Amino acid sequence: MASSLFFYFLAVVTTVGAIAVVAFPSPLYSVLALILTFLGLAGLYLSLHAQFVAIVQVIIYASAIMMLFLFVVMLINLGREEKRELRLPGQKMLGAIAGLALFSVLLKIFLSTSLMTGKKGSFPTERVDELGNTQVIGHLLLTDYVLPFQAMGVLLFVGIVGAVVLARRRSR
Amino acid sequence: MAPLEHYLILSAVLFSLGVVGVVVRRNAIVVILCIELMMNGANLAFVAYGRYLDSMAGQMIVFFVMAVAAAEAAIGLAIVVLIYRNHESTDLDEINLLKL
Repeated sequence: MASSLFFYFLAVVTTVGAIAVVAFPSPLYSVLALILTFLGLAGLYLSLHAQFVAIVQVIIYASAIMMLFLFVVMLINLGREEKRELRLPGQKMLGAIAGLALFSVLLKIFLSTSLMTGKKGSFPTERVDELGNTQVIGHLLLTDYVLPFQAMGVLLFVGIVGAVVLARRRSR
Repeated sequence: MAPLEHYLILSAVLFSLGVVGVVVRRNAIVVILCIELMMNGANLAFVAYGRYLDSMAGQMIVFFVMAVAAAEAAIGLAIVVLIYRNHESTDLDEINLLKL
């Protein structure tokens, strides 16, 4: 019962944060609201017994990536979005309708029974908790998932180089 | 323990809000933020399915998605800074250099 209440509390926090990201006119407040959403999601991962993912969510997402965003927002000193005519009239209305349509499609897919009756894997929660979540992930990362792990390293390297090349000031 | 459906509904809510933000907002930084929101909605569905189907694959994929998100944020923000340097604005309606 308590864990169920925990879920509903975090679900409300996460949803409010997400709505605030879309609704706040100032980008700075949007970034801060997204941090709230990410912290709520970290709590949800904890309630799903995904401790490692929860901690990584706090360290990487809620701290590192969001700090990057805050830096850029403050660097280029954005004010609030000016209230001026949208290029496409009724853009907000159409956006909301598109979002609702997508939401109903997603619900239909998620609540169809065929996805719930998949074959069970070999890592029940009790076994993972006994071995230690982080240990299992580390073992899998260097055995079954070693190729994606290497690809991830290459991707991050390319990301670093690309960001530096793009953002450096060209010397004349 | 909340049932799987509730996690999935929350994940659909987050993803849809991200899509609405991408469509509605005009500030490039907020659009990138909303893409992050969509990724997190997908992550939640991955972890929830992994938990209820006794699999670690969900958590592994979330780990990789986070790396992709970090790289995407770095490159995307570098592009935003570049655009701001050239245009003094990050309003997506005003960035139409490639438009005929």
